[in-house]
Amino acid sequence: MHLDPFELHRPTSVEETVALAERLQGRFDFLAGGTDLLPNYKMHINLRPHVVALDAVPELAGHSLERIGAMVRLAELERDPEFGHAYPPVADALREVATPLVRASGTVGGNLLVETRCFFFNQSYFWRASLGFCLKADGDRCHVVPQKERCYATFSGDLAPAFMVLDAEVEVAGPGGRRRIPLTDLYDAKGDGIRRLTTRPGELLVGVHLPPASRTLKGRYRKLRVRPSYDFPELGVAVAGAWDDRRVTSLSIAVGGVEPYPRRFDELTHPLVGETLSEDRVRALAEAVTRAVRPVHNTFLLPDYRRRMVGVYVRRAIAEARGSVAA
Amino acid sequence: MPTPDLLRFRLNGQPVEVACESARVLLDLLREDLTLTGTKRGCDLGTCGCCTVLVDGRPTLSCLTLARLVDGRDVTTIEGVTPPNGLSPVQRAFVNHGATQCGFCTPGFIVTATALLREVPHPTRKEIERAISGNLCRCTGYRKIIDAIEAAAREVA
Amino acid sequence: MTSAPPSSYRLLGGRIPYVEGPLKVTGRAEYTDDIQRPGMLVGRLLRSPWPHARLRSIDTSAARALPGVFAVLTGEKYPTPFGVLPITRDETAIAVDKARYIGDIIAAVAASDERTAERAIALLRVDAEILPDYADPRMGVAPVAEPIHQRGLLGSNIQKEVVQHFGNVDAAFAHAAHSARVRGNFAGVTHAFTEPLVTIAEATPDGRLTVWSATQVPHYLHRALSEVLGLPMHRIRVIKPEVGGGFGGKSDPLPHEIVCAALSLETGRPVKILLDREDVFYTNHGRHPTQNDVRIAVDASGQILGYDIDALLDGGAWSSFGTVTTYYNGVLAMGPYRVPNFRYRGRRVYTTKPPSGAMRAHGGTNLRYSVEVALDMLAEKTGIDPFDLRSRNALPPNSRTVNEFRITSTSFLKCLAAARDKSGWDTKFRKLPYGHGVGLGCGFYISGSNSPIHFTPKMPQSTVHLKVDMDGGIAVHSMQADIGQGSNTLLAAIVAEVLGVDLDRVHVQRVDSDVSPIDLGSYSSRVTFMMGNAARAAAEELRGKLVAAAATLLDRSPDALEVGHERIQERGHPEVGVTFLEALHRAMETSGALTASGSYNSPSMGGQFKGARAGTAPAYSFAAYVAEVLVDDDTGEYRVPKVWAAFDCGRPLNRLAVEGQIEGSIHMGLGQVMGESMNYRGTRLINPSLLEYKIPMPQQMPEVEILLVGDDDPEGPFGAKEAGEGPLIATLPAVGNALYDALGVRFTDLPITPDKVLKGVDQRRAEGRPWKGR
Repeated sequence: MHLDPFELHRPTSVEETVALAERLQGRFDFLAGGTDLLPNYKMHINLRPHVVALDAVPELAGHSLERIGAMVRLAELERDPEFGHAYPPVADALREVATPLVRASGTVGGNLLVETRCFFFNQSYFWRASLGFCLKADGDRCHVVPQKERCYATFSGDLAPAFMVLDAEVEVAGPGGRRRIPLTDLYDAKGDGIRRLTTRPGELLVGVHLPPASRTLKGRYRKLRVRPSYDFPELGVAVAGAWDDRRVTSLSIAVGGVEPYPRRFDELTHPLVGETLSEDRVRALAEAVTRAVRPVHNTFLLPDYRRRMVGVYVRRAIAEARGSVAA
Repeated sequence: MPTPDLLRFRLNGQPVEVACESARVLLDLLREDLTLTGTKRGCDLGTCGCCTVLVDGRPTLSCLTLARLVDGRDVTTIEGVTPPNGLSPVQRAFVNHGATQCGFCTPGFIVTATALLREVPHPTRKEIERAISGNLCRCTGYRKIIDAIEAAAREVA
Repeated sequence: MTSAPPSSYRLLGGRIPYVEGPLKVTGRAEYTDDIQRPGMLVGRLLRSPWPHARLRSIDTSAARALPGVFAVLTGEKYPTPFGVLPITRDETAIAVDKARYIGDIIAAVAASDERTAERAIALLRVDAEILPDYADPRMGVAPVAEPIHQRGLLGSNIQKEVVQHFGNVDAAFAHAAHSARVRGNFAGVTHAFTEPLVTIAEATPDGRLTVWSATQVPHYLHRALSEVLGLPMHRIRVIKPEVGGGFGGKSDPLPHEIVCAALSLETGRPVKILLDREDVFYTNHGRHPTQNDVRIAVDASGQILGYDIDALLDGGAWSSFGTVTTYYNGVLAMGPYRVPNFRYRGRRVYTTKPPSGAMRAHGGTNLRYSVEVALDMLAEKTGIDPFDLRSRNALPPNSRTVNEFRITSTSFLKCLAAARDKSGWDTKFRKLPYGHGVGLGCGFYISGSNSPIHFTPKMPQSTVHLKVDMDGGIAVHSMQADIGQGSNTLLAAIVAEVLGVDLDRVHVQRVDSDVSPIDLGSYSSRVTFMMGNAARAAAEELRGKLVAAAATLLDRSPDALEVGHERIQERGHPEVGVTFLEALHRAMETSGALTASGSYNSPSMGGQFKGARAGTAPAYSFAAYVAEVLVDDDTGEYRVPKVWAAFDCGRPLNRLAVEGQIEGSIHMGLGQVMGESMNYRGTRLINPSLLEYKIPMPQQMPEVEILLVGDDDPEGPFGAKEAGEGPLIATLPAVGNALYDALGVRFTDLPITPDKVLKGVDQRRAEGRPWKGR
């Protein structure tokens, strides 16, 4: 397999990157680890004439407990025991992404922004031409839910739900300067699945910020997939919060791998603050989350099964939630 | 700023300077331009691990690494983890334990295992399983591969 | 030879690391894609985007005009059909009149590089008339509007129908105390070897054509190239480099191999075609998607009275080995148990999908699953323990089945005893908690198909040549195809054993049709048995020459001498002897380099009825496996922590290789149970990738306890039988039956994915049938 020619750029600062992005006016892709972009490029999916590699921008590298640069490799974060102890849901998610080989190259930013996935999208040019192109690449109709307005490709990143339940914020740099937004606001749940993000064209994800309070939470991320390695999430449930036998101080649940966007269900968990987290309440919560998601048949496991597992995974994630190792 | 024309990196301990276009992956550069055919092409899409090399000591998929981006880095291939005479402990263990059958996935496994033992000298079987879970084998069922890596760890110790 | 075989040999029977192991672990083993030829061009293929289309015309003008394009080929240039079985030659190198599946080759290009070739492919303009497509084999058994092939029976898409009846099955069922029925539905699976399909062809000005290819069957490729290209075989040279796995997916001459050669003839340049992984999936030739209907009748004591079997096979677009598959999916039920009455109707139906062919344990896997599940059901109905039910019905050694399979050695009873004992069966079966279970599955497979595919010219099934010159290195030539199963090593070890020399004195040569005498290749688990016997014969002839020469040096009769270790010496007086080199140099005095030849042909066997030969073999392997499963009741996910694998391969000649084959087979069988499947929407393959085709990961592999309990086979080389395919078969029913023990649910459709597990349990509960209290 070959790559079609493109011009490769390698900026060395955030400012240079933003300026370059503006100049290229959307005719480019950012290249982080390459484990998502390059397979798609080899299959001639949504090619751009320019590729902007981010691996030479120092500000995007490095991590601490407060801030993770967008280009931090998943393996680097996975290998940091202090980080893992502080943020159990993210530690769980990191261990489950793809394979160790992918994690060596793949990045935090790349995983948060991973392209959505679908049987009808992640195929070669030949395959897609044979069926007819789809809304997400070169075509005008969706093959999963027949219509022409929305794309139903599934959000397939593991980190997003885990960071969401820890109240992460992302730092974004654009022509208008820098800003921070809650991670939960990054994904445009009102979008058409093609425009998936609330960021403006040309904006660059610089880093992820975690509030100190999140270090005190207990949490868990559980991933449903067919095989224990390689496979994308067909469901990913993250929980985090503070609760004991008597009451819930805080509780967050986020779900990925079943819809075009990862989602945090504040409207379902906030009413539980101050209550006891009884088995009945957990069951009711699990059922409510199950009712709220609508997976479609564009992955290996059937939608009914994935929905059924939402409840199981919510219950288990809560039961298995663990806290950071006491100092 | 456009990328420089010549790619300069360290390959198996030696400096290398080679012309390379932007839209080319490291696997192609190694196998075709540099005629190092020990690293294998199994799928081109990062779904099998046959193309595993070390970049700055880390097992990496060379089919999903743009060649130009190894500029200034250390790349080690199967040829580079092979001693000038004979076999490394990992290689010897693979031969003696029947961990290689058709051998096509083997260079990828050897590279991954070599890096693992450098980082974790005494891995448990579970740790070995995890470390190799990006390398697909269709022949062995993985049992003897794990046996071989365990045996190599004992020998190196 | 009247003396009993020794309990052990010097080399054979040990753990022999592969002779080419050091090359493989250092990346120095040369696979086809590692080969570069000067001026080599890249060949790429235009594949049909339509499942069924009449190809009216292809406009190649724009492609030809592209700079860097050296040739464009379409089907009419080489229209001669071919196929691995001469009785069903229905493939062409490039589609001539019709494309018959999405992925069928409809044109080819040779260009200076891949990008140019792909641009040329994109410039080809095909005028096609879309025809009805056929996804479901059930729709193909009646006449159809547009049969996929002319040869379809009576205007249908049936490629082959087999009907056999021995004894009186209806009477057997009428008198049966119990019967069981399993209707199995099996998704197609594919080999998914790690080395993609790849071929290099080089036509040279001396009128010869050299082809290097990743093939299991260099000889069949050689024949097909000659037939299709219209070149005499001697002008074609086929070389088999190191091959990265086959499992039956490289055991046909494949269209891209012939296309590659054609492009080289067209351009006069070397051409390489390397298939993308997606194209490997389209090439397929994997296990047939199968629907079978298996009924078994037994008397009150559990004695099998009869089998009634129906099988419907989804053949895809080409015949491949399908005629044989159609027989196997019934006749391979005739072991390991005595079956006095047997009826079978098998039909293989073309569909407009990637072709099915031979895949490891060809024809014996899906059938065996349903048979073993039915026997498990009968064990439950009769109250007889599953092991006892099997042993009561075991075929005895040196017997004949009613369809005239000649059974010689069988250690099936020992397999049963070993598996039962080591697994702790009696403390576990039906005694473990809900969600935890053990299951028994048995296996039976041919050790080499008795009948060759080609009947003319008559020739042995395997021939081995040896050459040794004054340097003392023994060169071994044979067209046997090592695809990772260790046949090179076995070949060398047999020669070394017979001659008493060190293994590193023996050098197995690369397969090259110019110098390698024909062996039919790696399929039907024939290599150990047939190549092994040929190698033994060749080595014995060479030994005879060396012993005769030593006799003249030692002034003894040759009968008084025996082979020692790198020596030939007097029996009873080993100090009286000469070294191997001394004997060799003496023998060479008049003839120069010594040569020897050995060959093997399996004995005549089988009945006189139509299709009698299908399933006949000079020996059979037997298996009894116990699998343990643990199910997560809430998610339906399960794992198989352990398999006890008792296997009869006669005498295992290389324990390292036999273990490797068993473990690898269990991995592959487990894959078919747990999640491997070729998934289609209609005729469109949805998952042509190694990400979406779910080969099990290391964490999913069970611990395997291997129990090799075979006795020497009377005809196998040094008593050996096959271990390449048989070990896969018992895996599947062992897991299926273990799931029943765990959950009380019969799974008759494969793969058994977590959603099916939950559905099965839901259904059982809805029917008010608790299991183990749940």
